[in-house]
Formats: sequence, structure tokens, C-alpha cells
Amino acid sequence: MRFESQRVAYPYFVVALLLFVLQLVVGLYLAFSYFFTVPQAVVDAFPFATARAIHTNLLVLWILLGFMGATFFMVPEETGRELAWPRLAIAQLVILTGTGVAAIVGFLFGWTQGRPLLEIPRPLDLLVVVGALMFLANVAATMWQARRFTATQGSLLAGLVFLALLYLFGIPFYRNLATDWYYWWWVIHLWVEGAWELVTAALVAFMLIQLTGVERKVIEKWLYVELGLFLFTGIAGTGHHYYWLGAPRYWLWIGGVFSALEPFPILLMLVDTFRAEREGGRRLEPRLTWTFMIGMAVLHLVGAGAFGLAHTLPQINYYTHGSQVTVAHGHLAFFGAYALVNLTFFYFAFPRLKGLPDGGRFEERRGTVGFWTASLAVVGLSLSFAVAGVLQAYLERYRGEPYLVAQEPIRFWMALVFAHGLLVLAGVAIIAWDLLTLRPAAGAAKIG
Amino acid sequence: MTEGQSKVVFWVGTLSSAALFLGLTFDTQREFDRLTHADRLDEQVVAGKRAFEARNCNDCHTILGFGGYYAPDLTRAFDRIGAEGIRRRLEDPAREFAASYRKMPKQPLSAKEIDDVIAFLRWTGGIENNDWPPQDSQRRWKRSTERLLAGALLSPAAALLKQENCLACHALGDAGERIGPRLEWIGGKRDAAWIAQLLLDPERVQPGTPMPSFAHLDEGQRLMIGELVVSLAAHGREP
Repeated sequence: MRFESQRVAYPYFVVALLLFVLQLVVGLYLAFSYFFTVPQAVVDAFPFATARAIHTNLLVLWILLGFMGATFFMVPEETGRELAWPRLAIAQLVILTGTGVAAIVGFLFGWTQGRPLLEIPRPLDLLVVVGALMFLANVAATMWQARRFTATQGSLLAGLVFLALLYLFGIPFYRNLATDWYYWWWVIHLWVEGAWELVTAALVAFMLIQLTGVERKVIEKWLYVELGLFLFTGIAGTGHHYYWLGAPRYWLWIGGVFSALEPFPILLMLVDTFRAEREGGRRLEPRLTWTFMIGMAVLHLVGAGAFGLAHTLPQINYYTHGSQVTVAHGHLAFFGAYALVNLTFFYFAFPRLKGLPDGGRFEERRGTVGFWTASLAVVGLSLSFAVAGVLQAYLERYRGEPYLVAQEPIRFWMALVFAHGLLVLAGVAIIAWDLLTLRPAAGAAKIG
Repeated sequence: MTEGQSKVVFWVGTLSSAALFLGLTFDTQREFDRLTHADRLDEQVVAGKRAFEARNCNDCHTILGFGGYYAPDLTRAFDRIGAEGIRRRLEDPAREFAASYRKMPKQPLSAKEIDDVIAFLRWTGGIENNDWPPQDSQRRWKRSTERLLAGALLSPAAALLKQENCLACHALGDAGERIGPRLEWIGGKRDAAWIAQLLLDPERVQPGTPMPSFAHLDEGQRLMIGELVVSLAAHGREP
């Protein structure tokens, strides 16, 4: 850590970790509701819908807080100067966390916009916009004052501006349900397959430059190619959500063709990561940060790339759309891409923020256990969802069985989801505990 | 690859995809009115959408395949269970799902809001969305029902259905009215003896039902109708 103002990242990371753990607890309740008959009185007071709104909003909140903290950590290093307004960054954290907590308490009392993932009521959206503007102003001002622009910074800033602009499409009330979903996907799809990919690519490029010693020019050259492919496939690939909502038929072609190409940039990112590791010529320390980074690249490819590709073609999607197949893809993709990129960054930043001696080497045993427990459990959980989804698609969509008849055999697989969920929670709790109490490596003091 | 070339990849990739996407968005926007029958989208439908959102229905149910996956898709709910089916479930979910392993919460909806939600779901059912979802596809469903009727309607029981004018209230295939439940959906839940009892004395079996009595038929005829209705359920889907 070279700049005092990078410290503002720390509270962002701490809040993000706590919200992640909370998200998993609520997720367990959702899985539980699938195989256990929750009594009517409980359902009336605390419906599944409320729990789902909390689960998904916590996800978005903690991932974004992680991104923001990572940005505040990265921008001073990249620009070579202190953040423009470190205190504003703290105020922003307070506003956004406060808004998130208010929204979640509101959900419990039925205060909601009522659109999946965008449940935050409209008055609170204003606070979200205020927080986003504070954030962008702070980052842009820092870059402007430094007068030093890099491709990595550009990717990060472009991703963040894109992210904020797209959020605006989720705020209005749409009279027409089809139009509503059309623009809903501008927020959801263009976030996760556009803006968030830009941010992720920037964070990964930054870490690769810092950790491997590979020349910046080489990393950034490939960054351009990755981003070009991400956006080429991702923007028009939004069409894979427009098959069945009342849009013209040509979306079956556009969505099918472009989204079938979506795995390529992710594959390139994986290859780039391996190449940088090999060519860097440095001993890559700490190993755990690398485990996370490679884990991210691999599960990103499997979850977003392969699981996405499996049901993106309209001929298949006709039967799997809106089933647990989507859920399987969603969980592995979000964990592989966005949860792990955040956790990787945390393991990169925490030793530096805590000023650990000897180049930030730390005791890796707990974190390693946490990584493998959480990652393998998410894979198991996603496979359970996938079996449930294929059963549902066959019984309900293909055979035409009634909804509840088709749900019956799924309950067993949801119990398996729950069991894996417990392991995910354990793994993530270990990671959070490890990060918050990171200790220097045993041999570090002697060498230092 | 040089740095210059990689920048070209970035700009060409991004701008071509964005141009295509925005162009098609412009066209889609114009087509939506036709494909969603915007002329039928009146204030009551909009009020229904607001009520639907205010109660967060969409975080359990999917609609157009989007939302929570915890409850049935609502895209064609109006076709499937009709206005009365929707009303009954909204008014007293505890009664409707008493035997179900999955419950629906009771929402504080006024009578007007229930009508609005029904109007919203009726309008949604008319969206031309490439015939999704498959389980409610009229095309697929008509084909299987036609095959079924080709055999079933040769029977004496089918003649009774016609003679007693059952289709004045019940739908069968693409014929009939939607006042009572579809005939294909009854047999999934009830047996022939129960249906025969209902025909004899509807008020006793289902108090408050608008179904008239068919006590003028003899016991054997009532059972025959019951058996036909049960056989229809082979392809029918329970709401």
C-alpha cells in the first residue's frame, strides 16, 4: 500500500464480507422452503418472495460494495496519487449501506417496487443514484487530477459509468409488461455480461500487472481484445432473454448466435491469466491469491460460459426458460465470476492494507480450506439445481405435467442444494474470518 | 497482434454490436404494440400490474418466464384457470392450497384489486411470445386434445355431453365456454363416482356452486359422464 487514502477500501470490504455471509443464510431458507412445507401462518408473515428479494439484493449490494472498495484501492496505485476525496468515499459507504439496510427492512414490511432484483423502492433509488454519483465523481476527479490514464483505468471507469447509466433504466414504471422486461434486462444482463465484465477484467488486469511483473503493455493489449469480445458478444447477446417476452422473432437468431459466442472472451481471460502467471518469471506469492485467481477464471468459464451455453439456444431454451436450469447457471456464474473476483481482490488487498511484513505473506491454511470448501460446495449446489432443472423442464415443459406434480421429484434435489448450501456458508464464513484476522506467515518475521 | 490492432478489435467489436442492438431495439419498440395487443392495454390492466408489483407476486411466480421459480408461471394463467380460478386463489389461498406441500401467502387485496389483477393476467395471456410456455401452448395442446376427442366422442357418454349442453359452461378442446373448469382438468382430481354425485346434487357436494343439477339423468348415465370426464384427464392438466 503506497497511499494513505487506499485505506478507505477496508471498511467497504468488511461490510461486503458480512453482507455475503448474511446473503447465504437467507439463501439457506429459500432452499429449505423447497423441500419442507412451511406452514401457512409463516408464509403469510414472511413469504418466500420476501426472502428471495433479500437474498438477491444482498448479492448485488455486497458485490458492488466489493467493486467500489477495489476501485478505491486500485485507483491511487494506477494514477500515482491520493484519492481526491477520501472522506466522501466513507460518506458514500454509509449512504449505500444505509439504503441497503433500509430496503431490506422495508421488504419485511412489504415495501417494495416488486420487480425481481430491482425491488428497492423508487424513493430509495434516488439515494442509490446519489451514492453512485459520489463514487463516480470521486474516481473521475482522482484520475483527472493525476492526468495519467491507462487502459486498465479506462476499462474500470467505463464499466462503472456504464453500470450507473444502465441502472436508470430500472427505475421507471412501465405500463407494458413486455417493455418492462425488455428494459429490465438492460440493467440485469448488460450489468452482468457487460459492465461488470469490464470491471472484472480491469481488476484482474491490475492484479496481474502488480503480481506477475509482466509488462503492462502486454497485459493491456490483451485487455483490449478481451473487452472487445465481451462487448461484441454481450451487448447483442442480450437477445437471448428476448425469445419469449413478446419481441419479434429475429431475436431468436440474434440472441442465439451472439450468446453462443459468449464463452470465448471468458476462455481468453483464463488463457491470459495462465500466460501471465507463466511469463511473469516471478515466484508467485502468496499462493492462495493465485488459487483464488485461477479458481475464478475456471469457475467463471464453467458457470457463465458452459452452463450458460447449455441453455442459450432457443431450441433448448424453449423448454428450460424460467426453470431451475436458469438457477443452476445463475449460482455458478455469479459465484465463479463475481464472488470470486471480489474474494481474490480481498486476498490481494488485505495483506497490503494490514501492512503485513515480508511482501504481505500470510498464513494460508485457513483460507485454503475456505476456498475449497466454498468452491466445491457451490459446484455441487449448482449441479443439484441443474438436475432439478432438467427434471422440471422434462416433466412440466415437455410432458405438460401440472406445476406441483413436476415439483414433487425436485424436492429431493433441493434438499441436496440445502446441504451444499450449508457447506458454502461454512467455507465463506472461514474465508471471512480468515481475512478479518489475517496473520503473517510463520517464517515471515525471521526473514523480515 | 500489436497494440493498435487490439484497439481496433475493441472498438469494432463494441460499436458494431451496440449499433445492431440499438437498431433492433428501435424496431422492437415499434413492434411491441402489435405483438402485445397494446390496444387492449387499458387502465385496469395497468392497475392490475401495479397491484401485482405491490404484492411482490413476481418473486415467487414467474411471468413470461422471469421472476422467482417457486410457483407456477403466470403468462397463461388466465387461459389455464380462468377468472374464477384466479379469484379463488387470491381470496383464500389457505383454503385453495390446504392440501398442497407449497403454500401461497394471503395478500391484502381489495375486490377491485383482484379484478385488476385478473384483467392484467387476461391481457398478459394474449401476448404473442412465440408460443411459450410449452405446457400452455395452445398449438401443442389442441393437437393432443384433438386426438383424444377423435376417440372419446364416438362414445354414448359423449352424446350425453352434447344432449345436456355441458359445453355451455365447460370448455373442452377449443370448444365450449369458460364459466366452469375445463373438462380435461377435472379428472386429475376427482373420480367418476364423485362426478356422478356432483351431477346428482351439486349443492351438497360443492356448496355455493353455480352448477345446475342433472338429477333427471339416471345413475348409470351420470356415472358414464363421470368416466368420460376422468378419461379426458389422461392428457389434461390440472390447474
